[in-house]
Amino acid sequence: MPGILEYQSGDTILHHTHPLVKLLLAVSVCVGGFITKSLMFNLALLLLSISGGFALGMGRKVKATLKGAGSLCLFLFTLQLPFVRSGRTLIPLPFGLKVTDMGLRFCAQLSMRLLGATLPLVLMLGVTRLSDLTNALVAQLGIPYRYAFVVTTAIRFIPILFVEMHDVIEAQTARGVELDGSFTQKIRLIPPLCVPLLVSCVQRMENNALAAELRGFYLRKRGSGYRRYPLNGADALVLTVCAAILAIAIIT
Amino acid sequence: MTEMVRLSNVSYSIESHVLINGVSLRVDKGEFVALAGENGAGKSTLLKLIMGLIKPSDGDILIEGTSTRRQKVSTLARSVGYLFQNPDRQLFGATIRQELTFGLDFLGVSKDDGERRVNETLELLNLNPDRAPTSLSRGERQRVALASLFVRRPTLLLLDEPTTGLDYRECSQMMNQVAALNRESGVTVLMITHDMEVALDFSERMMVLSEGKLIADGATRSVMRDETSLRRASLVPAQMVALAQRLGLAPGEADDAESLADWIADNARGGADDARHS
Repeated sequence: MPGILEYQSGDTILHHTHPLVKLLLAVSVCVGGFITKSLMFNLALLLLSISGGFALGMGRKVKATLKGAGSLCLFLFTLQLPFVRSGRTLIPLPFGLKVTDMGLRFCAQLSMRLLGATLPLVLMLGVTRLSDLTNALVAQLGIPYRYAFVVTTAIRFIPILFVEMHDVIEAQTARGVELDGSFTQKIRLIPPLCVPLLVSCVQRMENNALAAELRGFYLRKRGSGYRRYPLNGADALVLTVCAAILAIAIIT
Repeated sequence: MTEMVRLSNVSYSIESHVLINGVSLRVDKGEFVALAGENGAGKSTLLKLIMGLIKPSDGDILIEGTSTRRQKVSTLARSVGYLFQNPDRQLFGATIRQELTFGLDFLGVSKDDGERRVNETLELLNLNPDRAPTSLSRGERQRVALASLFVRRPTLLLLDEPTTGLDYRECSQMMNQVAALNRESGVTVLMITHDMEVALDFSERMMVLSEGKLIADGATRSVMRDETSLRRASLVPAQMVALAQRLGLAPGEADDAESLADWIADNARGGADDARHS
């Protein structure tokens, strides 16, 4: 998990595309997946993301995301399926529950929407440096730096938190804490795992905030920053793809 | 002596990166061993392998004759205590007493025995049970973490740079207490340290690790005179050893600060007498 949200260097078209255009592409795929009523288009968007991920050399990220989000989708699929009442009954279940064709369709689409919303964002972060995203949000969209910084720092913190959580688990395991105990034992594990993580996060945030302030965080303006992000031909191409995705999603 | 830890040709690698390369060693019961080496040499990895937190890619690790491969970490933790460099990852209790009491019931310790152990440990490590660990200094938090391990009555203590970030007073308090546990309770100590003075003062044996390989193992003073190994591991000997070596003294001739000071005073006096007579 720690590596999933990290930037992966490369020389593909998407690596050189404008950060906001990449963000727009990811959002278009997500929104398109939620707008469309067509199961086939959801599947097409998902396949587009998967093949795009492999083409970008991020097969490991794609597999890890599908594995992580796939488990959640499977759980939601199984949980919701017997409770959808509309449609033709395919399999009757005890307690008045049933599996219907509409239920299958609804749950399959829900799963594909979830996967289709996660994967593009992971891939977008894989081809975009967070500093570039922050700079572009500030320079092009005029978002105050502190807000753009908060968003990108929150994303940057996710893998750090995973590493920290791993270290805390290791430390508590070394104290004899069993992570695979009964339910009541698991409840008892909440303080030993959460308190050190919380303390470490608060300390880290305080240190980072102080360090940023001491390095002139509040002096930064919209025009600050050395890098410029002009739009080029590849950006126009990607924008066309975004428009096409949204158009098809609305039509279908 | 009875064997506590044995590593037989242990290797550990992540993908193609070899972190530990064919390390074999033996630590006997009651020994106080320092493990030194440059950053990234694999010292913490070696300790985690011994604790069973990670499993070796090759070779075997035996703790009191039982392979760590066959034991869960929680089982190993009954006899092995691991003190991390950062105590904050281990501490969570609202008070020191709560911190020390946590998990004793997991081990099957009765309430009375648990209370007795906690009180003994509090007294031994001179801790106030009602204070909150978060309100303590780094050195005190490190001692609370040590106490939370010692209350389990381990036979082996693995310490990962226990004196990092501590001032002189905190460092000496911490190390004196570890030494007392080793001396009085017979706990075997294997300690990672970059501080050669600490290694010299407290450990009887020293190992040096470099690029995942064990390059020196022997009496602390002898290892500190092994310039080649020390240089290879980016280490410098303790000041006293360097001074004794500079004065041409053999190992054991003037082993502590007092005898070295006496030697220097005698020779200085002798030199002054010679000068006066001539």
